[in-house]
Amino acid sequence: MHDLMTDFETVTPDLWMANEEAWKEKLLKLPNWFQIPLINSNASHNLPDGTLVRFRGMVQDMHNPEFYFEQFEVFNTVTNVTKSKSGKYRDTAHILENEKINYTENLRSSQRQTMVVVSMPGLNDWAQQLEDRQNHLKHLEQQPNTSKRLTNTGTKLKRSHDETEEDSDAMEVVEEVVTNKEPKTSDTETNTGSVLSREHLLNFPLPDMPSKSCIVKIYDDSENVKLNEMIEVVGFLSVDPALSGEFQPEKDPLLDPETESEVETITHNPPPSLVPRLHAVYVKKLDHCNPLIQSFDQESVLKEANSAREHLLKALTELLLGDKLAAEYLICHLISCIYLRQETLSLGQFCLNLSNLPTQKYPNYAKQLYEIIKQFVTKSYYLPLTIENMNTLSLLPKKDYECNRLTSGVLQLSKDTHLVLDETKMEQGRLDATGVNNIAALGNMIMTQKVEYDFKYYKMDFESDVSVLILSEGKSLLPSDYHLPLRPEEASLKIFDAIVEAATYYLKEDIMNIIRKYLTSLKLVKYTISEDLQFVEDDFIEMRSKSDSDNPVTADDLHRLLVLARLVSLSRGLDTLNKECWDITKNMEAERLQRIKNRVAPTL
Amino acid sequence: MAMRDYAADKESFKNFFIDFCQTDDEGNKQFKYSDQLTKVAHREQNAFVVDLDDLHDANEELAEAVRQNTRRYTTMVSDVVYEMLPDFKHREVIAKDALDVYIEHRIMLEARNHRIPGEMRDPRNRYPPELIRRFEVYFKDLSSSKSLPIREVKAEHIGKLVTIRGIVTRCTDVKPLLVVATYSCAACGAETYQPVRGLQFTPPPACTADDCRLNKTAGQLHLQTRGSRFQKFQELKIQEHSDQVPVGHIPRQLSVYCRGETTRRAQPGDHVAVTGVFLPLLTSGFRQVVQGLLSDTYLEAHSVHCLNQSDESEMAEALTEEELAELADEDLYSRMARSLAPEIYGHEDVKKALLLLLVGGVDKRPNGMKIRGNINICLMGDPGVAKSQLLNYIDRLAPRSQYTTGRGSSGVGLTAAVMKDPFTGEMMLEGGALVLADQGVCCIDEFDKMAENDRTAIHEVMEQQTISIAKAGIMTCLNARVSILAAANPAYGRYNPKRTIEQNIQLPAALLSRFDLLWLIQDKPNREKDLELAKHIAYVHQHSAQPPGAVRALPMRLVRRYVALTKRKNPTVPTHLADYIVSSYVELRREARNARDVTFTSARNLLAILRLSTALARLRLSDVVEKEDVSEAIRLVEMSKQSLAPVDENVQRGISSTDRIFAIVRDLAGSNQTVKIADVIERCVDKGFKPDQVDACIEEYENLNVWQVNQVRTKITFM
Repeated sequence: MHDLMTDFETVTPDLWMANEEAWKEKLLKLPNWFQIPLINSNASHNLPDGTLVRFRGMVQDMHNPEFYFEQFEVFNTVTNVTKSKSGKYRDTAHILENEKINYTENLRSSQRQTMVVVSMPGLNDWAQQLEDRQNHLKHLEQQPNTSKRLTNTGTKLKRSHDETEEDSDAMEVVEEVVTNKEPKTSDTETNTGSVLSREHLLNFPLPDMPSKSCIVKIYDDSENVKLNEMIEVVGFLSVDPALSGEFQPEKDPLLDPETESEVETITHNPPPSLVPRLHAVYVKKLDHCNPLIQSFDQESVLKEANSAREHLLKALTELLLGDKLAAEYLICHLISCIYLRQETLSLGQFCLNLSNLPTQKYPNYAKQLYEIIKQFVTKSYYLPLTIENMNTLSLLPKKDYECNRLTSGVLQLSKDTHLVLDETKMEQGRLDATGVNNIAALGNMIMTQKVEYDFKYYKMDFESDVSVLILSEGKSLLPSDYHLPLRPEEASLKIFDAIVEAATYYLKEDIMNIIRKYLTSLKLVKYTISEDLQFVEDDFIEMRSKSDSDNPVTADDLHRLLVLARLVSLSRGLDTLNKECWDITKNMEAERLQRIKNRVAPTL
Repeated sequence: MAMRDYAADKESFKNFFIDFCQTDDEGNKQFKYSDQLTKVAHREQNAFVVDLDDLHDANEELAEAVRQNTRRYTTMVSDVVYEMLPDFKHREVIAKDALDVYIEHRIMLEARNHRIPGEMRDPRNRYPPELIRRFEVYFKDLSSSKSLPIREVKAEHIGKLVTIRGIVTRCTDVKPLLVVATYSCAACGAETYQPVRGLQFTPPPACTADDCRLNKTAGQLHLQTRGSRFQKFQELKIQEHSDQVPVGHIPRQLSVYCRGETTRRAQPGDHVAVTGVFLPLLTSGFRQVVQGLLSDTYLEAHSVHCLNQSDESEMAEALTEEELAELADEDLYSRMARSLAPEIYGHEDVKKALLLLLVGGVDKRPNGMKIRGNINICLMGDPGVAKSQLLNYIDRLAPRSQYTTGRGSSGVGLTAAVMKDPFTGEMMLEGGALVLADQGVCCIDEFDKMAENDRTAIHEVMEQQTISIAKAGIMTCLNARVSILAAANPAYGRYNPKRTIEQNIQLPAALLSRFDLLWLIQDKPNREKDLELAKHIAYVHQHSAQPPGAVRALPMRLVRRYVALTKRKNPTVPTHLADYIVSSYVELRREARNARDVTFTSARNLLAILRLSTALARLRLSDVVEKEDVSEAIRLVEMSKQSLAPVDENVQRGISSTDRIFAIVRDLAGSNQTVKIADVIERCVDKGFKPDQVDACIEEYENLNVWQVNQVRTKITFM
């Protein structure tokens, strides 16, 4: 097995192309890919140009396809020898001083797709650390740094001054926390200064989050990778500093029409030290990005579900101040995902609105709750719904024609991300046009699980699968599928700080990991409903007959019940619906509706 | 592939230009290309357009060759035209600009300098052809060729003529682009010409004229701007239409280079169709070193054509075999109706009505009078019965539609606004939602919440289909041939059947009567229907799909195209149906007098029936309205009335359909003892009963010995 690995360490694009099928087969047979350097966890400046590396992330943008020379001839003016070369899996031609590319004959061009892939937005610290631990390759740090690498590339380009400066620190991006909370408005981007900010180049959906991005070039058209999908790419690294758009020569404006504006060039060709290029040989679509789950086995997941649920229920009940019903709903919320999508109907979304939070006593209750949830789920994001945030943040991704790219927004999230909206932070104030649009966008996403991306001349819906949890004092101003007022117990209310402490103590690493696995793997379970649903039909008819103008029972209610029933069964480790779970579900809903009806003024 | 014989092609082009002629309507022969050549020769026209359709008729193979290797043939045609021009020059041309004079001088000069006896050399030869030619050659793509989505334009299309559609996202200013650079030598005074093909060029280092070369002076060259030839140049960026982008992908873009006559044809935001040659662009200089392995691509425009919204040529794309087969299934009408908003369960009659609204009736103009064909529908109902969803779906389905809410649009927002142009100070008219939806559908949600004075504008639109403007000195009449689809909530939260519609919706009768159909969508518990609904939903959850038993919904695109197809038909009502329609109408009126009628049965209902029946005939792609169309139209009107009928629920339950049918039969019989069953069925169907219900009723009362039915079951005789 070991020599297999060394093969992958030394493979070059030329070797790969010589025997493409065999290499691919070898790659797929590899028991794990940990030995192929993952550049999310290993800094790319430790790796030489042209090595096989991996990158995991979400497709953030797709550029126009590139036409490259699959086959071309190089003529050496000194030795008068003509060589045939290939441009596949590389960016630069690697030609010597006295060689010339023959642009007129024996040229075969081909097409490759370029996409911008960013590291998973909202990936929580624990997952990131775990992934780093799994993938960190010690030996790479002893590798010679960039300076050595450039000498063997053989380009006739001199290393530019900027590059030497940048190389030393550019790759520390991961550690660097961008403190600038300013929103990414298009005004800042349109300035034509030749140096654009790092945030601009990285174009990460979430502000104040460290991230990495990568330009991936895909050769196989059949992959059909979609926007916002999670992918893992294996490919050849290309970090030649010459690729940076900042080194463009001054253009003569009279003779050279502007095919690309300067900002566009720089945005599309960021310094490779910041945004490495990756020439994909294999693209794998990911169902999840939980590093704890390597393989998935439905049987065992279901078997272990109940004990994990017990742990989680215990912790959440305490955290929700003794409210067991709320804890049950929260568990269902955490394991929900979209499982059916048709024209305008989507099933499975579970937007939970927990209201009546004890904010007067604990103004930061919502944030504290989030801190715990963050420990459970793989990807999450906490968005305080303040007037300022709403008026200034750009939630919706927008096409920027100046730079010709999709400027990301907070709502550009990959599937199974948990978005926590904290409405307790909202105060009275004025929403301006942006604010109203942002609120509408959030509402739209909650209702239809679609996000409308702004392409200026038209809008396009992109499907999303984001579970939204709204924490609020009263009923939220945003729509929700399930609204539940919290009913805290007096006793717990007094000792909340102690509860948090106890919970942190109780949730040790091993219990945590059980819960983490539980939450991710349940989303992958295949769930079926048996043919016989007599009890559901009967109940519905009964409900309908009792319905009146004050409590109308509609088709939506049945949908809601069935979605909840599914999650109730799944959370208990059942992959099918039975009468028992149905009754539990009905009681939960009945209790919830009862609570909404007799809603009392906030307790404290 | 064998090399084409280009010399032969050249010859065939020459013949084609001379010989090609079309016969116009008056029978005169039009020599299309000869005329163009004459115009070009006299400098009246710059563009020389070769229509590949014409070439295809004359020489199919050559047309195909042009499409495959357009660049080469452009140069060839340019040569051919240049050679032919002198023959078409009938009179002296007045020089239009400095360059014309310049060219003339050069030709004369050249002719004088090289007058060597015996040499039959064309004096124009020495100059680069681009310098002397003042015309541009463009090809027009075959009308049969389909436009490609931008994402399908790939490496294999390089060098070929392609047509794409898209939206212009960026266009640069029109700038002069150097085509031929002319230099004069500081030492010997000779002129050097350098044709420029790409976007960049390197000036020659030294004079290459004979004098300098022999004397080895290497005179310095100076660019002569006046002697050089420039061309208008503009770059467009075109982005895919949203409907061409596969789900989950980002729209792609393509650069288009427009030169000469094709510039200034489009603005950002315009929908355009561009025909051009797809070409790689070789980068040079620094970029070449860096990205030596990449080539940019662009489309060299041959024609840029703005598509206005009403240009629905692409919508009417012929349906493919498979699609036709899919449509040929029986009962297309119900199936299409069900395909509207398939996620909304039930409400079949409402959906049928909406389908007819999309199709629309036929406009009639008897002696200057104008009778609209558009169908207006108003949906009413309790909150949460999917009215807005239906509206939204129609808005997305209709090729032209505007969606607004009653509150969100003031009278100005609906009709038109007079705006003052900030730059010129002129008054301008800007159309509102109703004008923008001309020849389409205007969906107005929350119709009841519209302010009183805004409604007045709608009155005119709904009957006259125009909007009269008399504002700020502008008096005009705009077309607003729209179908209005309105949704309204009841005034007091829920619909109260004991009140009249006016009270319930708080809209004046004048406005309500303008709707062809008023539907009240109510959500009443009903054991049978609830069970069906429960089964349906349970199925969706069980199998993650719609039940297979139900008719599979047609894709939206297909419905849209079929509807576009139906609009081409203009069915007429044959005279023999007139009696039937009239008697049905009289019946409706009679009933309206008798019963406590909440709706307004007026002459407008008769027109509504006619509109609905023509729409039904259109849907069948028929030219004649048939009796079934009329009875279905009457059924729909009747059903819509019934949905509003102020029947007490308890009483309603008490009277079964059988009893009601019996009452109808009794009425029909009057003093007579016998009734024809055909008449009974006809009357009952008009009232919204199904034939099998009628049969059941007849049988039941026969068993009760109330009446007798004759052997062949055509007559009922009361006992």
